[in-house]
Amino acid sequence: MRFLKRWKIRILLFFAVVGPGFITANVDNDANGIVTYSQAGAQFGYKLLWTMIPVTLALIVVQEISARMGAVTGKGLSDLIREEFGFRITFFMMLAILFINFGNILGEFAGIAGSLELFSVSRYISVPVCAVIVWLMVVKGQYKSVEKIFLVASFIYITYVFAGILAKPDWIKAVIHTVKPPGRELFQHDYLFMTITVIGTTIAPWMQFYLQASVVEKGVTRRQYKASQLDVISGCIFTDVVAWFIIVACAATLFVGGVHEINYAKDAAEALRPLAGDYAYILFAVGLFNASLFAASILPLSTAYTVCEGLGFESGIGKKFSEAPAFYWLYTGLIVAGGGLILLPHLPLIKIQLYSQALNGVAIAPVLIFMLLLVNKKDLMGDYVNSKLYNLVAWGLTAVMVVLSVPFVWDTMRQILR
Amino acid sequence: MSTIALTELLGSPVLEASGAQCGRVREVALAPAEDRVHVSMLIVRTKTGDKVLPFAEISSLNGGVRTSSPASDWSAPEAEGLFLLERDLLDQQIIDVHGRKVVRVNDLDLHPETDNGRIQLKIGSVDVGARGAVRRLLKGVVPMAALRPLLQRIPPRLIPWDFVDLIETDPARRVKLKISHERLAKLHPADIADIVERLAPDEREAVFETLDQEVAAEALEEVQPRVQKSIVESLDSERAAEIVEEMDPDAAADLLADLGEERTSEILKEMEPEERQEMTELLEFGEDTAAGRMNTEYLALSAEATVNDAIEALRNFQGGVETVSTIYLVDERGKLGGAVPLAKLVLAKPNDKLRPLSMEPLISCHAGAREREVAALFDKYNLLTLPVVDDDGVLTGVITSDDVISLLRAKL
Repeated sequence: MRFLKRWKIRILLFFAVVGPGFITANVDNDANGIVTYSQAGAQFGYKLLWTMIPVTLALIVVQEISARMGAVTGKGLSDLIREEFGFRITFFMMLAILFINFGNILGEFAGIAGSLELFSVSRYISVPVCAVIVWLMVVKGQYKSVEKIFLVASFIYITYVFAGILAKPDWIKAVIHTVKPPGRELFQHDYLFMTITVIGTTIAPWMQFYLQASVVEKGVTRRQYKASQLDVISGCIFTDVVAWFIIVACAATLFVGGVHEINYAKDAAEALRPLAGDYAYILFAVGLFNASLFAASILPLSTAYTVCEGLGFESGIGKKFSEAPAFYWLYTGLIVAGGGLILLPHLPLIKIQLYSQALNGVAIAPVLIFMLLLVNKKDLMGDYVNSKLYNLVAWGLTAVMVVLSVPFVWDTMRQILR
Repeated sequence: MSTIALTELLGSPVLEASGAQCGRVREVALAPAEDRVHVSMLIVRTKTGDKVLPFAEISSLNGGVRTSSPASDWSAPEAEGLFLLERDLLDQQIIDVHGRKVVRVNDLDLHPETDNGRIQLKIGSVDVGARGAVRRLLKGVVPMAALRPLLQRIPPRLIPWDFVDLIETDPARRVKLKISHERLAKLHPADIADIVERLAPDEREAVFETLDQEVAAEALEEVQPRVQKSIVESLDSERAAEIVEEMDPDAAADLLADLGEERTSEILKEMEPEERQEMTELLEFGEDTAAGRMNTEYLALSAEATVNDAIEALRNFQGGVETVSTIYLVDERGKLGGAVPLAKLVLAKPNDKLRPLSMEPLISCHAGAREREVAALFDKYNLLTLPVVDDDGVLTGVITSDDVISLLRAKL
């Protein structure tokens, strides 16, 4: 008994510290994230590790701004965009967010299908069942109690840290590539694609809406904001340390072993072999399944909230279907369409996941521009506007994203047209 | 003349008497301190900067705004005391008092009226539906002539201006614009609570600063604890104390127990001595015990009292109605001896003694009883109220069924 009690206290203490920032950062390592980092390591070895430091810095800056805006204004990001930029801009923004987030939802269902296929469960069973579970869990208001289970289970990804170490990577090379800026290869299409995908999966547009909404929902105020800052920063660092190890583990196993392209979840699972041997599949599948289901519970809901709030529809799971029809239809539609599309035969699941993240990477720059314009409004943020130095860093990062995505979009368009 | 949408008026040309265009409408302003429903002036963007065009000088609204005075006579705008419809209302949230919810403004319907040959523009209703949304989306993209028939097909969702309650977070501006929450205050406290929960913290604070303290207290009781806490933390201690004093003592004690120690003592300091004393006593009990849930306002009479005495006491009772559904009998030391339901009192004769009317068996619980035990008693004996006694059997408070319902609901 006493033992149990002590554990209970410890777990409670842990959750007292875990805030919206940490949760968001954890959902960041969703199915799409795992696949993206794995592919980055498999395809380019250590060569994409340089992205980690700037991406972490950018993630901290962006998330900190989201959290700060939530704490100071007490409003969601789409509310603020609507109030400050008017209906038309909001409408197109919401349309774009809907499209991009749908790509991510598709990726999460692909993750569910892929992970359970490792246990030989057909996707025609796993995807519909999980879609129903997600829908019911959220609509019946059980999500909050399940969130903690997801959160604890997401620590499975720490195993990548051990797997990375056990794979005996070339540490010197890894460290050099982490700090060495990329050369000319940056502007090769494949390499640029992967760079943008890594950025897009780490700093996803939906996360900014989700984090700000969570901060508001938790009732964080200006006074408690300092604690949130710490929560955000530690969350970002934790996520990216795991991401770094995923890339290293995949580089030391898959890349070295000649596997340069991940086509199925089982290819990515091989990276955990140094740690778990023949059990690598199980470890990977459980982790991937948890991450997919976790994000699949959050993403459709967060999207429905974001869009409905921006456009002024009634929203909230506390409301009846007849009171908030747009909200419920949107929420249900995203799950049904997301799950349904994955069931089309011969769909390249991994490719879908990667492309959805590339789309994130292209979309983050405009979202960032809106956020920076908002956070610098004196009548909105008062004394909490960005400092000059902070703005310099934030605008600089935005400029880099634009510089990277313009040639990428150009190149992609050209390839499609051909 | 037909209705004009605010977004149609914005940007439309302003013509001088000669017919020459001198600018475009930039803002439509209201001076709520003088007139809450009629537009008082337009702010016009001219070549020489923004100018104020008093509405009285407008001769026609057909085919652009026509004015009788030359643009050179107009003064520069002064935002003091003005409510600007585009900046302050469009895309912002308002409270729909009739529909009892918070909604976002898509557009405004303005009604031109002619009064003694003078033209006036009255604010008719706020458009919160698809019609306003489509108009704003397509304005300037699709020609107005093609857009109007389309818009007429969309059923509007309008809120009459009289049912609109504005939210202004700046206290100084609130006074200048005479923005109050009279209409909101007339709603049921539970509805006010629902609305308040939908607002941002600053907006909640604004509402609670202006509401009458009694209404504020009743509404605050209905708000969920987390939001309750943040509201009270945002108010200054004097105002917070005023509201807390009006609350049911048990609800007030629960709320104060959730606040920080420092904040609690600040609020207690501002309270009347008698209430402070009572609050301090309640705060000493654990929140999850019977004593933490009980109300200290109740009606207790001597065991010898008659029905007449009871009715007299009821008439003079100051506390909330939910606590008087049962009248308690106590001896000279305050020891609980009986409980008479109101219904029995009504059926008895004026000179009957209360004692024989008492419920059998007499159910009570100890001040230290846990919540679970309390709820079980209510369930088992189908109680409306439950007396709470101390170690010596002295009556110290009463738990009412609404407290138990809130308690159970929180655990559902």
